[in-house]
Amino acid sequence: MRTIRIAGVGETGPVQQDRRSIPEMVLGAVDLALADAQIGHGEIDSVVTASVDLFDGLTASNIAVTEVVGAVMKPEARIAGDGLAATVHGACQIWAHAYDTVLVVAHAKTSMAANGKLTQWAMDPIHLQPLGVNFSAAAGLQANVLAQHDRHAEKRWARLSCERRAAGTSGMAKKLSQSEILASEITTSPLRNGMCAPLGDGACAVVLQAGSNAGGPVLSGVGHDLEAHGLGDRNLVHWAGLTRAFDRACRVANLPPADARFDLAEPSCFYPHEEELFLRATGIDGGTVISPDGGLMAGCVPVVAGMSRLVAAFKWLRQTGNAGKRALVHGHWGPAGQAQAVAIVDGGL
Amino acid sequence: MIREEAIKIPFQYAAGTAGSEFLINLRDHRQLTGSRCSDCERTLAPARAYCPDCGREGLHSVNIGPGAELVSWTIVPDKGVFALVRPDGADTAMLHKLLGPIDDPQPGIRLQVVFREERSGHINDIEGFAIVQENGE
Ligand SMILES: [Zn+2]
Repeated sequence: MRTIRIAGVGETGPVQQDRRSIPEMVLGAVDLALADAQIGHGEIDSVVTASVDLFDGLTASNIAVTEVVGAVMKPEARIAGDGLAATVHGACQIWAHAYDTVLVVAHAKTSMAANGKLTQWAMDPIHLQPLGVNFSAAAGLQANVLAQHDRHAEKRWARLSCERRAAGTSGMAKKLSQSEILASEITTSPLRNGMCAPLGDGACAVVLQAGSNAGGPVLSGVGHDLEAHGLGDRNLVHWAGLTRAFDRACRVANLPPADARFDLAEPSCFYPHEEELFLRATGIDGGTVISPDGGLMAGCVPVVAGMSRLVAAFKWLRQTGNAGKRALVHGHWGPAGQAQAVAIVDGGL
Repeated sequence: MIREEAIKIPFQYAAGTAGSEFLINLRDHRQLTGSRCSDCERTLAPARAYCPDCGREGLHSVNIGPGAELVSWTIVPDKGVFALVRPDGADTAMLHKLLGPIDDPQPGIRLQVVFREERSGHINDIEGFAIVQENGE
């Protein structure tokens, strides 16, 4: 199988509000990634984008960014979900020998409209939309299942949120103490305002290229998976879809899923209970560094979320002393983690 | 510069065969309907055209409820309480509203579906699920 090098990354945000237009914001991330990879638009063979129409207030939201991602007169595919799922598809294009250099781009601007209103329209239109249920309510229902037989859950989640907020550097998340988080207003019980990842605007771009690991971190395994849409059809105590996505990624990377070791984990957690679901689904334990930059709980752009974790892992692996180490990257999308994506990144030589 | 807009476009969503049967039974019979999968031997709530686990089509309809059991809930200020409830006779849970007053809900407590007087073949023909008081009220 071909080795896929992560040749360059670029990211704008997360920021509370990016006053630029969506194409300008996306162009900012693409320019940074191309400069990082030291290539020009002409060397990109194919583009995979991730965006969600309703978030952009625009049907076929990829049409607006075609030019800035350099996709004019080139093949482009669009994923309406997390950017890490777009990365999975970009990697498959290279493994299939279809293309050598693939640009993957994700964007969202939550400042454009009320996110809680938008995610209501991602729910089943007959049984769920008319009730007013959205992704936040779905997260509350899942967190409640976990908290029912766990008296300490809320205190533990508040402490984790406090730590993740404190580690953030984007300025998106207000630093809050554990007791301030426990006293913050209920959003969807048992979740409180201080436990929710602050949402903002941003774009992210990654250049994937067939090559060797001599040039830096490589994408050595990917996997993704979907669960049933209905929350009542699932066992909400587990992210079973994540376990399956993780097993697939491990198989691609020739790692034993039950015994795979990671130096770094970059989970996509919009809420603290999701980090516990991530650890349970992947078997990650205390020997792994988790989200040293605070992860999504320190500032988050939906859709970009999983790709921002890939960029964080890439930057960590490029730091002095981390060459040869291994990272696990995670993204999810849909109510209560219905869709799951995983990438395994190995540091270069 | 920022241009402001509010997207408002009327839509018509088809409920499908099983979804329509479910809604018609709410409207005409104050009855919850589930679907029985003969492959995995589960009764799914609400009714549907295929089994999400087996992919089997042609499930047969069965009456479920009106009693139910509370599985999970979340309090949403200004919106009320959303709940996952498992109707009697069903193996999966459906999502709807929990009707108050609710002091300290516990998983497994007994509920009863509450229908609206005015019904039109809509999920909101169900007002929600109310906690059955211990004295049988
Ligand atoms: Zn079945």
